[in-house]
Amino acid sequence: MDVSQYLEIFLDETKEHLQTLNTQILELESDPENMDTINEIFRAAHSLKGMAGTMGYKRMQNLTHDMENVFSEVRTGNIKVQPEMIDVLFKCLDALEEYNNNIQQTADEGTNDNEVLIKQLNDILNGAGGAPAAPQPEVKKASIEAAAESSSDEKWNDIALDHSQIRVLTEAKKMGKKVYGVNVVIQDSCILKAARAFLVFKAVEEKSEIIVSNPSAQDVEDERFDRDFTLIVVSDGTVDDIIKAAESVSEIAKVTGAELVLENTRNYHPIEESDRSVSDDKKTAVAESKPQAAAKTAEKKQTPGKPVVNRTVRVDIEKLDVLMNLVSELIIAKNSLVSASNQEREKNAGFNEQIEYLESVTTNLHESVMKVRMVPIESVVNKFPRMIRDLSKSLGKKMELYMTGEETELDRTVVDEIGDPLMHLLRNSADHGLESAEVRAQRGKPPVGTIFLNAYQDGNNVVIEVGDDGNGIDIEAVRNKGIERGVITPEQAANMTDKEVIDLLFLPSFSTAKKVTDVSGRGVGLDVVKSKIESLSGEVEIKTKLGEGSTWIIRLPLTLAIIQALMVVVGGEKYAISLGSIQTLEDISPSEIKLVQNKEVINLRGTVIPLIRLPKVLDIESTRSEDENLIVVIVKKGDKQAGLVIDELIGQQEIVIKSLGKYIKQCKFISGATILGDGEIALILDANALI
Amino acid sequence: MDQLKALNELGNVEDAKTSVESFQYIVIRLGEEQFGIDIRFIDNIVKMQNITRVPKVPAYLKGVINLRGEVIPVMSIRMKMGLPADEFTRTTRIIILKSEQQGNVGIIVDEVKEVVMLETTQIEKVAYDSKDNTVNFVTGVGKHNGDLISLLDLNSITLEENA
Repeated sequence: MDVSQYLEIFLDETKEHLQTLNTQILELESDPENMDTINEIFRAAHSLKGMAGTMGYKRMQNLTHDMENVFSEVRTGNIKVQPEMIDVLFKCLDALEEYNNNIQQTADEGTNDNEVLIKQLNDILNGAGGAPAAPQPEVKKASIEAAAESSSDEKWNDIALDHSQIRVLTEAKKMGKKVYGVNVVIQDSCILKAARAFLVFKAVEEKSEIIVSNPSAQDVEDERFDRDFTLIVVSDGTVDDIIKAAESVSEIAKVTGAELVLENTRNYHPIEESDRSVSDDKKTAVAESKPQAAAKTAEKKQTPGKPVVNRTVRVDIEKLDVLMNLVSELIIAKNSLVSASNQEREKNAGFNEQIEYLESVTTNLHESVMKVRMVPIESVVNKFPRMIRDLSKSLGKKMELYMTGEETELDRTVVDEIGDPLMHLLRNSADHGLESAEVRAQRGKPPVGTIFLNAYQDGNNVVIEVGDDGNGIDIEAVRNKGIERGVITPEQAANMTDKEVIDLLFLPSFSTAKKVTDVSGRGVGLDVVKSKIESLSGEVEIKTKLGEGSTWIIRLPLTLAIIQALMVVVGGEKYAISLGSIQTLEDISPSEIKLVQNKEVINLRGTVIPLIRLPKVLDIESTRSEDENLIVVIVKKGDKQAGLVIDELIGQQEIVIKSLGKYIKQCKFISGATILGDGEIALILDANALI
Repeated sequence: MDQLKALNELGNVEDAKTSVESFQYIVIRLGEEQFGIDIRFIDNIVKMQNITRVPKVPAYLKGVINLRGEVIPVMSIRMKMGLPADEFTRTTRIIILKSEQQGNVGIIVDEVKEVVMLETTQIEKVAYDSKDNTVNFVTGVGKHNGDLISLLDLNSITLEENA
């Protein structure tokens, strides 16, 4: 069966499960006794294994299987959670993520077996003292001790069967065939184990059909097995026939075999158990049943082709329902408009009413379409606690990440892009921001450093603050560095405000880190952060106090396509100014204008603000006479302000941003155009470019 | 654009051994002269409408118009060719040209007259004078019912000034 069509779902769900595992294991670390967490982890690992198996990703399945074994031991209380174990588990998650990335790119899981990790997992299992009979994972490099210890010859009962295999076996039984387990032990002296095993395979295959082989046929062929291997076969004949066939190969020490009772096999029970245990929990039951349902349809595993995985948005059904309803309403409204126009003049009032109705429907429609594209930033920020934990270990600093507002929604395109800049800022805080434990103690700060990430909506913007209670930015150090690097002259440096000095940090290859670490300080950084955020029409500011910490404030537009704007008239032409950048509107008499360095400024409530006469900038004659009061729109960009002199105000309006096309690109301060209700075009002024 | 050039050249091939190819041209008027535009590169012809000026762009770029919700830049072909400025009359039209690379662009013409079918044999190539500083906007001259129609090289028209 071709499973490639499920690849997208698989990737999505795998990501989700990995995220759950990450979060839950983190939780487990702080609260090792929490049964809920352990159960949750077990479920996620189990689903992951089932899915990987269905899709034919053997390596992924093996690794998750061993992880699941560990979790199941933790669940039964045979193993206590230890820090080393958590470390290994996290490494496993990283490995799984690597598989997932490989699959996403090439539809293949890659060739990394992660044997070291599997070994470590097994060591954890073996370390579970007092439980020698604890089920050993019989996957690939099953440890030698396990093979030796296992007094029973019925190794086939230890083979972990997956759903499709169980199904094949059950069906074979129904058809009157017999299912046997066969264990073949090769002589110690044998040199060409793989070749012998191959002959055994051939011999057995003449008499029966091999359903399962442990280790897998591929591993056996590559000699990745110890002395013995186990087969589960379906045959019409007797078990003795098969044993005889296997024994006919030379250098075989021992062949044992017996009829296989499905109910005795290893995986048969746990699955049912876990199913039952979660049946109360509706949510997880759904999560579990998905991979199982998929497993049922998977008859034979194949390596999928190379499907192109598209970017998808998972949409809440409710949001789509709203959309659907609005569209139907729109059609109704349109129809009534048509009939109203047929009846013409006599019912003019009804006509207007319908138009208003139509308008409100389209507005709502538009809003809900926008909402469909909105996703919570949760999907991005969820990976950060884990990252901070790892950083904490690798940097040897104690730190804690506090996050709020993960549910804040942003346009999907923005959410996709925002991860890297945020990660960079957090790393920055962890590495440069937070001081070492000794310094913190000297400064009377708590030994555990605080890093925070707060997200919230502010009007048409989403604000994300990333910061720490660490050292803050040493402005003098930056100033000196700037001089040293030749970015600024000493004279310039002396005249620069603190704010301007901090802005130097955003210049390419400007890193103040004294030494380059693995975490940050490679010179690619803040400039990338800044350009990325600006490419999303956002902005970054820094608030910092030496010795107390710094906060990076990222402001992003809620959506990229539609903004609230102030419509103004300049020289008879209509222009739109994004409301986000506007602070106030002022009525200024010409006498209040002062000249400073030959530039017009006004003193507005104690702040000196430069004036920009838009008619002059836009090469057009103002329609207002010189002695009239000026209408000034005060706009801000970060801490900078400017007053834009316009001729007339129209009012606030929601506008759809359209590109001017590649043809017109010379104009820096026009960021686009919008189509007004009457079909006319108004240009959008980019206040940021004007200041 | 290379493709466009190639097509234009194809149209100019005088060798008529292969079956005679013919192309449709829209005949437009600029002042007293008639020009032909290959119909395959025309998206639309619209009546003159209010053009929104865009500041700080070359003078021949008259601004942008709203074409069914799309913002389309419009240029004055007269100004680009060094002819006297446009006078907008009732016959003035904006021809929207398709361009994959730069997006659609409109050109203002005095009048759209007709659509003619020109066979390759009816088109004479115009020698390109590289010493001539003014950009050569015409790729060939077509003969139709005794009239001469200069065929516009859309490539050089839609290119930007300094390109």
